[in-house]
Amino acid sequence: MNTIIKTTARTAGLTAGVAGCLALAPAATAEVSEADFRALQETVRQLSAEVQSLKATNTVAEQLHDQDLQQLHQLQAQMADTARTAADAEEKSAAAAQPLPRVPIDEATVNHNFQILGDAEVQFAKATGQNGSFYLADFAPIFLYRGGDNILFEAGFDTTIANNNDPTTTPPNQGAGYTTTFNLSFAQLDYVMSDYLTLSAGDMLLPLGTYAERGAGWLNKIPDDPLARQLLPDAGVGAQLRGAVPLGDAGKILNYSVYGVNGPSSSDTTGDATSLDLGGNVGPNLHTDPAGGGRVGVFLPFKPRYDLELGLSGLAGQWDSSGNHLYTAGVLDAALHLGPNFEAKGEYIRTRYGSDDQGMISQNGWWAQVGYKLSGLNLELPGINNLELVGRYDALHDGLGTTTRRYTAGYVYYITTALLFEGDYEFITSNDASQNNQLIFQLSYGF
Amino acid sequence: MNIKLNRLRLAGLLAGAGLLAVAHPSFTADTNAPVAAPPPGTGTTKPPMPAPLTGAELYSMHCNRCHAERYPTERTAAQWKTIMLHMQVRANIPGTQARLILKYLQENSGR
Repeated sequence: MNTIIKTTARTAGLTAGVAGCLALAPAATAEVSEADFRALQETVRQLSAEVQSLKATNTVAEQLHDQDLQQLHQLQAQMADTARTAADAEEKSAAAAQPLPRVPIDEATVNHNFQILGDAEVQFAKATGQNGSFYLADFAPIFLYRGGDNILFEAGFDTTIANNNDPTTTPPNQGAGYTTTFNLSFAQLDYVMSDYLTLSAGDMLLPLGTYAERGAGWLNKIPDDPLARQLLPDAGVGAQLRGAVPLGDAGKILNYSVYGVNGPSSSDTTGDATSLDLGGNVGPNLHTDPAGGGRVGVFLPFKPRYDLELGLSGLAGQWDSSGNHLYTAGVLDAALHLGPNFEAKGEYIRTRYGSDDQGMISQNGWWAQVGYKLSGLNLELPGINNLELVGRYDALHDGLGTTTRRYTAGYVYYITTALLFEGDYEFITSNDASQNNQLIFQLSYGF
Repeated sequence: MNIKLNRLRLAGLLAGAGLLAVAHPSFTADTNAPVAAPPPGTGTTKPPMPAPLTGAELYSMHCNRCHAERYPTERTAAQWKTIMLHMQVRANIPGTQARLILKYLQENSGR
C-alpha cells in the first residue's frame, strides 16, 4: 500500500515539474542556447518516458491491490463461515450437555420389573478337639418379578456346598469331598389386594415367630440358627392372607397373617415320634388335611430406630399319613431397638405332637440375642465404630430326652453396611455327646 | 437350678429393657415435632400433636427392624418400586406407609 502511495506521489511531482518547465519555456527562449534547449528537450523526453513507465508500474500495483482486496474479502467470508460453524457446534454441544428430562417409565414397553436380591456366605468352623475347616459356602439369591403395582412373584434359592468332613461332630464325620445342595427356600405369588391386605400363595416362609422371614445370613448377626428353630417348619406350601393396619399416625401398626399349608408330615408314612418331617412333604406322604396357622403382632415405634415389636403365632395340623396325630406349635417373639446401636430380640417356642410309639411329645426352646454397636460409645479408635458385639443364649428340649444349652459370644465387623465379617464362640452344654463347643467365622454379603 | 436362674435373669433383663423403652419419656417424645401453642385465654397447655411421619422416618423405622438401612442411591427408582413391593409384603408394612417410603427412596435414588 505504501509503495502505491509513493509511486503516485512521485508521478504527480514529475508531471508538475514537466508542466512547470513547459510553462516557463517561452519566456526563456531568448536566453538559452540551442544546445541547452536540446538538452532540455531530451530531459523532457526522458521525464515523459519515466512518467509512462511509472504509470505502467502504478497500473500493475493497482491490479495487485485489487487482487489483494479480493483475497481479503474471500478470507473475511471464510472467517464468517468458520465463526458460524463454530457457533452452531457450540449451540449443539450446549444442547447435548443439558440433562435429559426424567420421563415416566413406560411399563408396557420397558421391563424394569425384574430384580435380584439375596445374600452369600462363607463359613470357617473349628470345633473343640477337631481341625478347623472351611465349613460351607452359600449363595442364596432372591428373584423378584413385579407385574404392575399389585402383583409380585418372589422366589428364593439356596445353593450350598458343604464339606463332608463335619468337624463339629464327635467323632467327626470323615466323609470325602463335599456336597452341593440346591434348595428352593420359597416361591410365592403375592397379590396386594389393598393397603392392608395381601394374598400370597405358593411355597411360603411361615410367620412362626419372625426368624424364618428375617434369618438371611447378612441379617442374622450370628452365623448359625438358634437351636429351638429346629422345632418349627421354615416354609410351607399353601395360601396366606396377611397385612398390617396403622394404629394412628405415629407409625404404630398391627400386623397379621392367616394361612393354610400342607404342614408337617411323616418321613416314612408312619406315626413314629422320630418320623416327624417338618419340611412338609408334598409327595407320597401328604396327609389329607392341611395345617392352619397365623400370627398377630404389634410394632410400636417411639421414634425412628426406637421401637418394640411383639408377636404371637401358632400352627396346628395333622402330620402322620393316617391322620391320627396332631402337630401344634406356638411362638412368642419380641424385638427391641433403642437407637441405631442397641438391639435385643428373641423367641420362645413350644411344640407338641402325638406319636404311635412314644405318645405325646412336648418340646420347647427359646433364644435371646443382644447386640450393641460400639459406634455408640463415640470412641476415636481405628475400626471401633464398625464393630458390633453380640451375645446369645439359646436352649432346646427336644422332648425325646436331649437338652442342649448354648451360650454364644461374638462380634460383627461391618466392612460396609452389607458386607459383614462375623465371628463367635459357642459354649455348649448338652447330654448329647456329639455337641461340641465351636468357633465360627463367617463372611456374609447382602445384595 | 443355676440355669433356671440364668434364664430368669435374662428374661428379667429383656422385660426391664422393654418397660424402660415404654416408660422413658425420651423414647416417646419426638423432639423434632413442632409444639402447638395453647389457645389464647385458656391458660392450659395441650399436649403437642406429633407431626406426620415422613418417608425418610418411616424408612429408617421399618428397615431397622431387620437390617441396617441401605443407601437410596444403591438402586434406581424403578428398582426401588419392585423392592418396596417385596418389603411391603415381607415386613407387613401398610400400603399408606409403603408409598411414603417409596417416594423418599425414588426421590433420592441413584437415577
